[in-house]
Amino acid sequence: MKIINSAHAGTLESSDAYIQINPLEDGKIEVEIHSSVEELYGEMIEELILDTLKKMNIKGLHVKVQDKGALDFVLKARLQAAVLRACESEPNWEELI
Amino acid sequence: MELDIKVSEFDSSNKRRVAKVKEFLDKNELDMSPDIELFVTLKDNDEMIACGGLAGKVLKCIAVDSSRRGEGLILKVVTHLLNAAYNRGRRELFLFSTPKNIEFFKDCGFNLIEECDKEVILMENSKNLKAYQEELRKKRVDGKVIGTIVMNANPFTLGHRYLVEEACRRSDHLHLFVVKEDASEFKFVDRIKLIREGTSHIKNITIHEGSDYIISKATFPTYFIKDKGKVNEIHAKLDLNVFRNQLASCLGITHRFVGTEPYCKVTNNYNQNMKKILAEPNGKSNPIEVVEIDRVEFEGDAISASRVRRLLKEKNFEELKGIVPPTTYKFLKENYEDYQ
Repeated sequence: MKIINSAHAGTLESSDAYIQINPLEDGKIEVEIHSSVEELYGEMIEELILDTLKKMNIKGLHVKVQDKGALDFVLKARLQAAVLRACESEPNWEELI
Repeated sequence: MELDIKVSEFDSSNKRRVAKVKEFLDKNELDMSPDIELFVTLKDNDEMIACGGLAGKVLKCIAVDSSRRGEGLILKVVTHLLNAAYNRGRRELFLFSTPKNIEFFKDCGFNLIEECDKEVILMENSKNLKAYQEELRKKRVDGKVIGTIVMNANPFTLGHRYLVEEACRRSDHLHLFVVKEDASEFKFVDRIKLIREGTSHIKNITIHEGSDYIISKATFPTYFIKDKGKVNEIHAKLDLNVFRNQLASCLGITHRFVGTEPYCKVTNNYNQNMKKILAEPNGKSNPIEVVEIDRVEFEGDAISASRVRRLLKEKNFEELKGIVPPTTYKFLKENYEDYQ
């Protein structure tokens, strides 16, 4: 799938995350994380983002994460939602699990 | 309790609801801004408990009822405003609020640009200010007197040219900023072109494209609605503080030149504020001396851009010729013969 549009998902409320994605040229992936627990979990969040993108076979995007202490499955769901909104094509639902 | 909260969005055409927002803002000691295009309100049992507005790329008028603070309602409002802005393709956003909210908005991804008089703050959700400061530093020129002028030049007149010439004469180098916002009769590309052409004989000058940080809808929204007479002093102060504390030091600016302002209340007010805000010690950055230069006159009246626009409407090209440089005259004759 290819990122065509900018898109966002989530909220800024506690235990959630607000994720914005924008298309990038040349298949690059950039991840920008702002989190109240960045010291502790910043790397884990980045890993989770990259891993989720890899499974969905997504490249060429900038991801901005405004994390408010979201648990892993929340982050993953928000990211997937944003990616699907940006792609405009039907995903392989099995890959999303 | 949370489940009862209703969120609604509406635009400024909904007079009845806008009036309610105004009432709510009054109660929370905030002013309504006349340029808001979209409002977000939160209601609990039909009672307004929080609100916020979007004006272009600026989030403002964000308030939460005093009895409902600490529940994170402000985050709900900001989320909705961000969604609205992103859905409209606006990604680089500003936010106008009061200092007590700085930490909340930092948690929403905004960085502080400037705090002014413990009354207002301006924030942005990008790192554009840092990048802009880097760009400015590259254009630094050393000297004893480094002057600056910020002008809209709507359009460039002999009055502007005199001001620039005089400022250049008194400075080792002059940085001229052209207001970038396209909110005036003449477009930015035309305004800067006429300034470049009209000052091409001057050597010690750098002409800068303005930015969101110099007299823009973010720093100084009321500048662009001045015809409606809604002058907001706090905006003028904020704009000047951003200029002094964030930009001037990048270029080592020591003097700011302005023309005396006989007609326009907003501009005159801005000039008077300027002397206070730029020249007095503020503990943050070096003071900048403000130099007012008298307007030149033509046939008894001061030359001004508003006079040019009036003459254009009257198609009085004869008188126009006397108050604009040949380059501007040529441009007006070619493009504005039928100006209404």
